[in-house]
Amino acid sequence: MPSRAEAREAIPGRCARDLPASAPRTSPPAISIRGLTKRYGPLTALNDLTLDIQCGEVFGFLGLNGAGKTTTIRLLLDLLRPSSGQASIFGYDCWTQGLEARASVGYLPGELGFYLDLTGLETLDFLAGLNRRRVDKTYRQQLCDRLELPDRDLRRRLREYSAGMKRKLGIIQAFQANPPLLILDEPTDGLDPLMQESFYCLLADVRRAGATVFMSSHVLSEVERVCDRIALLRKGEMVLLSSVMESRRLVPRRVRVVFKENVNGPLDLPPGHELTEMTPRMWRLTVAGPIGALLAQLEGLPVADLELEEARLEEVVLKYYREEGS
Amino acid sequence: MKGAFLLFRLSFKRARLLLGATGVLLALVQMLRVRIAEKIYDAGQFDQLNSVLSTYLREIIGSALGSIMTFSGIVCGVYFDTGFILALLALAIALSTLPASEMETGFADMILARPVPRHWIITRTIALVLFAIVLMLGMIMVGTLAGLEIFAPPDAPWPTVRQTGALALTLGTLLACWSGVAMAFGAAYRRGVASTITSLVAFTALILDWARRAWPPLEWIAWLSPFRYFSPYELVAGKPLQVENLLVLWAIAATGYTLAYFIISQRDISR
Repeated sequence: MPSRAEAREAIPGRCARDLPASAPRTSPPAISIRGLTKRYGPLTALNDLTLDIQCGEVFGFLGLNGAGKTTTIRLLLDLLRPSSGQASIFGYDCWTQGLEARASVGYLPGELGFYLDLTGLETLDFLAGLNRRRVDKTYRQQLCDRLELPDRDLRRRLREYSAGMKRKLGIIQAFQANPPLLILDEPTDGLDPLMQESFYCLLADVRRAGATVFMSSHVLSEVERVCDRIALLRKGEMVLLSSVMESRRLVPRRVRVVFKENVNGPLDLPPGHELTEMTPRMWRLTVAGPIGALLAQLEGLPVADLELEEARLEEVVLKYYREEGS
Repeated sequence: MKGAFLLFRLSFKRARLLLGATGVLLALVQMLRVRIAEKIYDAGQFDQLNSVLSTYLREIIGSALGSIMTFSGIVCGVYFDTGFILALLALAIALSTLPASEMETGFADMILARPVPRHWIITRTIALVLFAIVLMLGMIMVGTLAGLEIFAPPDAPWPTVRQTGALALTLGTLLACWSGVAMAFGAAYRRGVASTITSLVAFTALILDWARRAWPPLEWIAWLSPFRYFSPYELVAGKPLQVENLLVLWAIAATGYTLAYFIISQRDISR
C-alpha cells in the first residue's frame, strides 16, 4: 500500500489531495471503462463502451432517451451489474472495490428518490453521515446560499418542495462532501435559468479546484458551455468521443461574404465548400475544413465584409440524432 | 457500522408513528380484553361461553379448551387471537418489504451510490422488524399488566409470567418467520407484489393449519405451514414450550433473511 504522501505525489491536483491513503501509486484516470456491456435479455442497453475520463476533466455524456447514459452511470455506481466489461473509479474496480470507488463520488441521480416526510436538512444530514468524507458545514451553507435554498426551506418537509427545490437539494447533497468526482445525471433538469447559471458557476468553481465531473445532459448548450469533452451514445453504442472544440469541426462552418459592388458567382469552389445562397453582392457558403482556399478565391474581389460562424455543438449532435432517427 | 446505525435510526424515525400508534392500540385492546374477561368471570359465564362454541372451533382448539375458557385463558387469548395475529403479520410484512419500497422510490440509489454495502439495507430491515416485534409484544404485556391491575377480580388467577413469556416468544417467533418470507420476496420483487404474495401464502398456511386441526389426515401437507409450529393453545393448557417448534420457525426466518441477503447482493438496483 502506498503512503498518503506517495499517493499525493502520484496523482496530480485535487484528485491526489482528496484520495484515501490507500489510493494506487500510479495516476489512474478518474473513470476508466473497458468493454462495458449491459444486456436485459435480448435488449442490449449498453454495448462495449470503452472510455477514459482524466482527473480534472468535465465530461459530457450525451444521447437520446434510452441511449444508455443512465445505465452507464448506474453501472459505475454498482447499482447495476454488468453483463461484461470492466470499470474503475480512481483505479478502484467499481464492483470488487465498490466501497472504495464510491467513497470519492458525489452522485446526483436523474430522478430524485427522497423521502417526502423528511425535511431538507434531515435529508442532507442523513446522506452526509453515509459518506466517508467529512462534510464541512460552512461549505454546505455556501452551497445552500449559492443555490438559494435558505434555512427556512431546509426545515420544511420535502413534500412541500417544488421540483426545482428538490433538484437544488439533490445538487447540494452531491456536492456537500466536496468529492473529487461528481457524477451528475441531468443536473439542471427542473432548474430555472437563474439557478442554472448559479449551477454553472458552481461547476466552474469545483473544476478550478480540480474536481472531475461526469455529467449526462440533454441540454446541448449547457454541455457546450461547461464540458471539455463529450461522448455521444446511440442505442447503447458510443458513436462520438471528442473534445467540444474538435466536435464542432465535424460539421461545416457557415461563411457570409459581402461585396462592395456586384460580382459574378464563384466559378470553381474548392472541395468541401458549398454555396447555399448567392446575390450579386453577397454569398453564403458552408465550409468544411480550413478556410484558406476560400480566402484565396476571394483575392482580387471587392470584399466589404466576411462573417465566419463556428458550428455549434447542437448541429453536430443533431446530425447524429437524425441519423439515428432515419 | 455508523452508516448502518444511521439507516436504522432513519427507518425507525419514519416508522415511529406507525409503531407507536399500533403499540398503543394493541395495549388498549388488550386492556379491554381483560375487562371483558373480568365481566365474564364475575358473571360466572365461562361454561355458558364454552357451550356456544361451534364443534369446529372445539376441534381446532382441542383439549386446551378448558384452560382457555378461564379468566387467565381469555387474558392470554391475545397471543393467538386471529385478528391480533393478522394485524401484527401485516405490520411485519410492511416493515420487511422496506427494501423493495426503497428501490422503487429511488431512495436506495441515494444510499447505495455512497460507500454503503448493500447488505446494510437488509441488516437494518431485520433489526427494525425484530425491534418492532419486541416493541409490540412489550406493549401487549404492558396492556395486560395494566388491565390486570385495574380490572382483574381479586380472586381470579393471573396468567403466570412463564406462561406469558412463552406465549410472547412463540408469537414473536411466528412473526419473525413471516418477516423472513416477506423479506426474501421483498428483495426480489416490488413491494406490492412481495406483500401480496406473502399475505396470500400466510393466509393459505393459516387455513391449512386450521383444516389439519379439524381433519388430521391433512397432516401430510400441513407440516409445510409455519402455523403448524405455532402452538399457543398447548401453552395455555400448561404444557411446556416446544423448543423444536421455535427452531423450525427461526430456521424459516433465517432462510428468508439469508435469501434476502443473497438476492440483494446479486440483483440490479432498479425501479
